[in-house]
Amino acid sequence: MLQLKSLINCIDNSGAAIVECVMIVGQKRHASIGDRIVCVVQKQRPGQAEVMGASSSGNKVKRGDIRHAVIVRTRQQVTRRDGSAVRFDDNACVLINKAGDPVGSRINGIVGQELRKKKWSKILSMAPMQA
Amino acid sequence: MNAAPLCRRPLGCLKTSLRQARQQNVLFGRTMATATETPAAAERTPGSSMLPDHNFYQLMDTKTKKLRSAFAVYTPPTINTTLTTPLKPLKGIRKGGMRPLPPAAPLPGLLKAPSDPMPLLHAAQIKRMDPTGARAKLFEKTRHGVRPGDVLLVTHRRNREPFAGVCISVRRAGIDTAVLLRTALSKVGVEMWYKVYNKNVAGIEIIKRPRRRVRRARLTYMRLPKHDPGNQTELVLEWKKSRKALLSKAGAAKKGGKKNAKKAKAGAVAVVGKK
Repeated sequence: MLQLKSLINCIDNSGAAIVECVMIVGQKRHASIGDRIVCVVQKQRPGQAEVMGASSSGNKVKRGDIRHAVIVRTRQQVTRRDGSAVRFDDNACVLINKAGDPVGSRINGIVGQELRKKKWSKILSMAPMQA
Repeated sequence: MNAAPLCRRPLGCLKTSLRQARQQNVLFGRTMATATETPAAAERTPGSSMLPDHNFYQLMDTKTKKLRSAFAVYTPPTINTTLTTPLKPLKGIRKGGMRPLPPAAPLPGLLKAPSDPMPLLHAAQIKRMDPTGARAKLFEKTRHGVRPGDVLLVTHRRNREPFAGVCISVRRAGIDTAVLLRTALSKVGVEMWYKVYNKNVAGIEIIKRPRRRVRRARLTYMRLPKHDPGNQTELVLEWKKSRKALLSKAGAAKKGGKKNAKKAKAGAVAVVGKK
């Protein structure tokens, strides 16, 4: 149940750690797993290049960047067609560009299986686990 | 009446006279309503008729070509028994369909309160979804049934990985009986509800039981970091190893893996790891 101002963990290696939802794309309700949002990067992950003093090559996004993202986990329980339901302990997303391709090259953490239904196959193939 | 408009529109007078007639008609209709009542209708007293006097809800049955009432009128059985005179079948309303009941005849089916149909429905559905009764037995409210605190392994049919987790709660609701499992996958807590009688759930196995009896029905405290059970994969590996050892002792070590896979496909639910 993510909406305006929700703070969401970013679980890819794009460089963002925490992002804030500013808009949900294509619907006027709260966002759930597999929904696309527009977000602002609020907190960066400390990159290795940044420590050395040079421009952060590892971090593809900076604090204050406006990016698109896909929700991959929600604390709100998501019911599936067969009656089973899944609920995670945090809200997480993966940054994407406007074409829908992931910004990062790796995802650290489990993602929800609802992504398959919403046709985010690239994110699914990058994820180490699905639940 | 004004003469000038009459000259221009000769039929105008017709209009006025017709209007007068119409007004009179309405008036007379109101005043003389009682006189127009048919004798047949007058005969019927409200107590004697089973159906209301108006008959606007009658329908012609397309198959039998008979008039039938579109609504079933419920009459409590006590009224029928108190009536002493048999009722005359009403004109127009399906002949022979409404027969008066003999006054002394008891109505055991109607006098008894109808039993709740839901348990029967649940039982029928459970029998359909679980013909062997294995799932129902696994979730019996006995010592051997699943209790909160047990570690369960759920095998799913739709090419998903088996999910192992601590049972936090059991929702007992007939065919909707479900279990809530909690585990941590890639350091993130995950909770899954599984319907016990779902055919997609190929198997549910008890991997481990708590040493001490858990004294709560809902172990929601396990969501707190202090009490979080964490990952269950080690337990699953251990359990698989022990099961393999048992099978090899029986002399079926090679066949064990295949057999178990087959078993899971057939929807068998095993109670293993009983302590």
